[in-house]
Amino acid sequence: MKSINREKFNTDIKAVVLSVMSLIGFLVFWQIAAHYVASPFFPSVGAVFKAFKNLILNGDTQGISLATHSWASLYRVLLGFNLGVLLGVPIGLLMGLNKQIYNSTRSVVEPFRFIPPIAWIPLAIIFFAGDTRFAFLIFLGAFFPVYTSTLVGVQRVEPLHKKVVAVYGASKFYTLMHVVIPTVLPDILGGMRVAMGAAWLTIVAAELAGGTNEGLGRMMLNYAELLKIPEIIVGMIVIGAIGFVINELLLMAERYLFKWRWQVTL
Amino acid sequence: MDIYHAYGDLVVHDGIQFVVKENEFLCICGPSGCGKTTLLDILSGLLKSTGGSVLLDGESVDPKKNSISFVFQEPSTLPWLTVWENIATGLKIKKLPRNEIKEKVDEVIRIVGLGGFENFYPHQISGGMKQRVSIARAFATDADLILMDEPFVSLDQPTRERMQQEVLDIWKNLRRTIIFVTHNLEEAVFLGDRVITLSQKPTKIKADLKIDLPRPRDPLSPDFTEIRAQCFSFLHQ
Repeated sequence: MKSINREKFNTDIKAVVLSVMSLIGFLVFWQIAAHYVASPFFPSVGAVFKAFKNLILNGDTQGISLATHSWASLYRVLLGFNLGVLLGVPIGLLMGLNKQIYNSTRSVVEPFRFIPPIAWIPLAIIFFAGDTRFAFLIFLGAFFPVYTSTLVGVQRVEPLHKKVVAVYGASKFYTLMHVVIPTVLPDILGGMRVAMGAAWLTIVAAELAGGTNEGLGRMMLNYAELLKIPEIIVGMIVIGAIGFVINELLLMAERYLFKWRWQVTL
Repeated sequence: MDIYHAYGDLVVHDGIQFVVKENEFLCICGPSGCGKTTLLDILSGLLKSTGGSVLLDGESVDPKKNSISFVFQEPSTLPWLTVWENIATGLKIKKLPRNEIKEKVDEVIRIVGLGGFENFYPHQISGGMKQRVSIARAFATDADLILMDEPFVSLDQPTRERMQQEVLDIWKNLRRTIIFVTHNLEEAVFLGDRVITLSQKPTKIKADLKIDLPRPRDPLSPDFTEIRAQCFSFLHQ
């Protein structure tokens, strides 16, 4: 086992080195392209880095720092995301286990899935204010991926696995906790990663719609009005980086939780 | 046990009556599609028969009250549990104290020869070993009755022969009542104290034979082949 671990460690290192190298390659390509295009609408790596430093140290035109903007967006995303998971999982389980409830509420619940969270922005502006508005919109974006993957996952529970515990007289609750949930958990985690993507998509759109001074979407729109492109790109990069880190954390959780599986899908 | 079972108009079991004695190794042999698996589902209490009764020590079977174990045809290890945890499943559901679970699981692991594989996940071990885990799980509880549904059907011939011998060894060691269902006559005669042969649907008992051969049995000995031929003639009447 030890040599296998070392081998795995080596491939991990290799993967990190290759990732860093492709990142550097991307930056070099960008810099060269910027040099040849030489337009104020195509900022160089240096210009974006300067804007980045300035936004961290001095803040934006109103003195709000990049950290404050990032935290505002992240906070809203996490609030809505957690709400989506907290409701999506139990409702998905309930619907998956009880065909009758699912079939009788299908015509009401399913159409909601196809209303994009962005289409809810006008109503959200009327009914909610502050972080509640954003949390509501993100909840809509996060709920359905989690709900749907839970619902689908429940169908994957092997009748044989239920029989294994039923012979020993397992209660319904035991079966739920020890057979259904372990089976569905990989699907739930997968749904959570999709939901996280949907949540970021929604937050930026929602912040662009206004009603706030803080948030990465708002910051980017302010600079768009000033035609200052480096700052806009900083906002985009921060969104990408935070999303990447959260996705990596969820993947790590998957690898830890699902050691029993053949592999973890990307 | 006296069983009559039908799905709608399809009569599966038409008055199957038999008694299993404590610590007996009973083999039930029947052609494919004669309702062997359904019979075990009824015996375990997972399925209610439409008529008749299954009595264990004079009372109707109930998975919650009785201690019954089931070794299924397909690999039935739970993939998210380690070998050790899989074997402990029945004991955990029966809510035994932790130290008692540990004691029993460790003992059974030693007997079935899974030592060193306690922390492996099912996907890391072979099909034969997975079935050994299922068997260990069945023997770990103080089961009044162990039901086996063609547990070796998906194994290759050498593994199958080895596992048959192992089950006999474990049974001799731990002394349980076993009902072993198979469509393989040789397997039935090799393992059982008694062999019951079944007919096609509507299923009835064709023969109930005591196998008086000393163990270990040699499938090539004249006595063995004679009994096998006898069972064969009953099966194909």
